[in-house]
Amino acid sequence: MSIIAFYLAVVTLGILSMGFQMLGSRLLSPHFGSSIDVWACLISTFLAAFSLGSMAGGTISNLAAPARRRSQLVCALATVVSLAVTAFWGRALLAQIETALTTPLLGVIAACLVLFFVPVTALSTFSPQCVQFLAQRGVAPGKASGLVYGVSTLGNIAGVMLTTFVLIPNFRVSTLLDVWLVVAVLTLVALLRFLRTPASP
Amino acid sequence: MKPARCLLGIALALSSLTAAERGNYVESFDTIYNSLTIEKNGTMVEMRARSRRGEALESAVDLADPLKLVVGYTRTLYAGLFFQPKPSRVMMIGLGGAGFHRLFSAAYPDTLLQSVELDPKVLELCETRLAFTPTAQTPVALMDGRMFVKRDKTKWDWIILDAFRGGYVPSHLKTEEFYRECAARLDDRGVFISNLHSGTELFYSDLKTIRSVFPQVAIFETAGRGNVIACAVKYRSPDMTKPENWAQVSESVAKVLAGRLDLDALKAERLPMPEREMRLGRQLTDDFSPVEFLDAMKTNNTAPR
Repeated sequence: MSIIAFYLAVVTLGILSMGFQMLGSRLLSPHFGSSIDVWACLISTFLAAFSLGSMAGGTISNLAAPARRRSQLVCALATVVSLAVTAFWGRALLAQIETALTTPLLGVIAACLVLFFVPVTALSTFSPQCVQFLAQRGVAPGKASGLVYGVSTLGNIAGVMLTTFVLIPNFRVSTLLDVWLVVAVLTLVALLRFLRTPASP
Repeated sequence: MKPARCLLGIALALSSLTAAERGNYVESFDTIYNSLTIEKNGTMVEMRARSRRGEALESAVDLADPLKLVVGYTRTLYAGLFFQPKPSRVMMIGLGGAGFHRLFSAAYPDTLLQSVELDPKVLELCETRLAFTPTAQTPVALMDGRMFVKRDKTKWDWIILDAFRGGYVPSHLKTEEFYRECAARLDDRGVFISNLHSGTELFYSDLKTIRSVFPQVAIFETAGRGNVIACAVKYRSPDMTKPENWAQVSESVAKVLAGRLDLDALKAERLPMPEREMRLGRQLTDDFSPVEFLDAMKTNNTAPR
């Protein structure tokens, strides 16, 4: 049962991150349009966040237990706080950025970094730690890595499709960002519990 | 002698056929935003965009008579004349094939007609295939329409919204906030003109959203084409939904339009506002604008057409 809950948390991580990208495009479009430049900046920001988050998560997973727990807590808090900033003050920040940076491309890059980079980076630190979690429980590292990234990518697909075809047509973007925040809190609480559970000898 | 004459006749016929067809072509262009087809047939050049429902005719020009309004809705856009017959500054979001521009510039040679187009290839094709050359009076800005409206501080007499991307309008150009931004850039006696497609949920949502910003809205249907042109103004008085309050164009303008645009026929294209359907429509905001999905959903057949 607990392993199913673990994979459910991994799927939810994937849903949260890529669904957030679709919501991000809706946040940006009133301020910067939805041209190919905007999409290029948005996708690149998310990929950069995945990259940095994965590397940081890999480092965290090899820290000694006390430092690892502190880092996990910092990453979880960073995710929640930055998601809250985007959910509650995202539009106000976008208006400020749009006014301050009149060069459209600079504005989009700044907006993507301010609103999306931190939460997605912080969220991405948990994937390598999930690999470590499985590896410590006897799953071969290669298999563990394949399972976590495979399941997480299924979550990515679900996040894109669910957000695009079900959520955006029926709910306000602001409501969905609130939902993202609540789901992130619940998922991270569950993941922290999993990751702090010592592997049975 | 007879067979020789026959052969000569065939050769002449073939050569004349080749000459007639030489100028005709069909070209396809995949741009960063559109999949466009340019077809030249005789003197007629069409620009079509691929959309979910096949190919949509974006624009056309008759090179033998460039002032002719070939595509029906470009004629209906002139309904703006009933509300502001002396525009000195006009902004049009969406260049298309510049089908509206030529006659307008001939009728109003001193008026600034500023176009805003996102797709650079559309401008290039306009210049190279559809015989449109931007001038100081007809400049074209290559950027997102909403970004232009936000950044440009000009007060416009007409703002025309005719921005389509392969058959649908980007969602950020359909919201209450965007219409408020347009209203802020519109002169107090100016008119906001939008090209809408009837028969979808989006149509009613769009009308409802426009009317939440502009106190008066009148709509005109391009016969048989599914295009409905909404004209909206910022003032409450006089009542511009009554044709008796509509303005007349000057004699000089009427002379240019004569034979190309029948304003009386245009008046007859006015439709009543679909109040019942609009009540059921969902108002679109920056926070909620599922434009792509509303556009895809056909409304029931009882909707007035």
